[in-house]
Amino acid sequence: MYKLFEFIRSVHVVLLFVLIEGAAIHFYAHSTSFTQARLLTGSNRIAGGVHGFFSGIRRYFTLGRENRILLDRIATLEEQLAGYRAAGDSLLFARYMEGADKGPYRLVTARAISNSVNRSRNFITLDKGRRDGVVPDMAVLSADGAMVGYVATCSDRYAVAVSALNTSFRASGKIAGSDYFGSIHWDGTDRNTVTMTELSKYASPEPGDEVVSTGYSLYFPADVPIGRVESAELNENKTSYTVRIRLAADMTALGDVILVENRGLDELQSLQEP
Amino acid sequence: MYRILPYGILFAATALLQIFLFNQLSVSIYLCPLVYVAFVLLLPLELPHALVLLGGLASGAVMDWTMGTAGINTAATVLLAFLRPHVLRLLCRRDDAREEGVPSVERLGKAVFLNYLAVLVLIHHALFFALESLSGQYLLQTILRTIVSGTATVGFCWLIARLFTSKLSVRI
Repeated sequence: MYKLFEFIRSVHVVLLFVLIEGAAIHFYAHSTSFTQARLLTGSNRIAGGVHGFFSGIRRYFTLGRENRILLDRIATLEEQLAGYRAAGDSLLFARYMEGADKGPYRLVTARAISNSVNRSRNFITLDKGRRDGVVPDMAVLSADGAMVGYVATCSDRYAVAVSALNTSFRASGKIAGSDYFGSIHWDGTDRNTVTMTELSKYASPEPGDEVVSTGYSLYFPADVPIGRVESAELNENKTSYTVRIRLAADMTALGDVILVENRGLDELQSLQEP
Repeated sequence: MYRILPYGILFAATALLQIFLFNQLSVSIYLCPLVYVAFVLLLPLELPHALVLLGGLASGAVMDWTMGTAGINTAATVLLAFLRPHVLRLLCRRDDAREEGVPSVERLGKAVFLNYLAVLVLIHHALFFALESLSGQYLLQTILRTIVSGTATVGFCWLIARLFTSKLSVRI
């Protein structure tokens, strides 16, 4: 027995090292991006306030740009509204508006207070949580409506979203104006581009074509802008295209974002379960 | 026993710098300095090896929690803590490494201290980025990230070490 203690004493450092290292790697090997988002949600209870303070300061530098984007957006919406007003009977318009709060999507605005872009699994921390009506699986869109990510977990006051710049992020996209779609992911290299694979060989994507979401994905509504085709090439066995897409949203300068909840999501998920 | 207060402040300062400054950098995907390792690198030379490991565990675990990295900061930092005495023994003359004090330029000399920082930081960053990407596909990218971020980290650790030891006598 004494010899055993002596032996353990002589190797206790190595033993401790192997134990901790084993535990850490075991934990990492069994983690998903959901586990990681949950860790961030936990630490944001403490660090969130400070992140909010710093992002408040940074925000003053982008106010001008954000204001311009908002005004542009208002202008487009006003234009469309004028169109609807002119085209439709005013009674019909009133009936549309009655159902607006029961529509398929619910929108919440929030601010990105912490956003990493230099790792291979990036997350965005938002300053609104369960208390403000944010729920997991909401789509995150930039202020001008482009795809940014989706909410993974939320605490009472903060939410953590999986960024489009996360190697475990998946979405489906299509070339605007056609029905050819492919699956979108980030390869972890360039912060401005994502990759779309499995796009049909008949789609013939051209550089500059707009790519939008399909609506097949559970998170994103249909026709959310994703970006523009930068280059496209056929894969080795010439069955599908692999397309590089320049993201429409500037992921390095996220300020205000729009969160979209798909009200029918629960129903959809329960239908899709086997 | 040891200077608990200065080391407590060092731990908090490196952690806060990492969380609120270096994690928010958005210069390039290749620039991701992990400056919190300065805490483990500057622990006193005479501290028992097991305590160095526990120090690595503490700072790694805090970073995992705040960066949402689920274990890879801990794995990399504990490896660094484990290798620290061995690297010191390789780099220094035998009697130097056994003595007491804070690892610093004054204590080890410019060249040895810089090598000490560079070797351990590169090992730490290599493991961190390798575990993070977890594929051979982006080997070149991982190597480049290790080198660029590692160089930045060594620079910042050097500065932190200068600041830290300027207020303390080097020998405890």
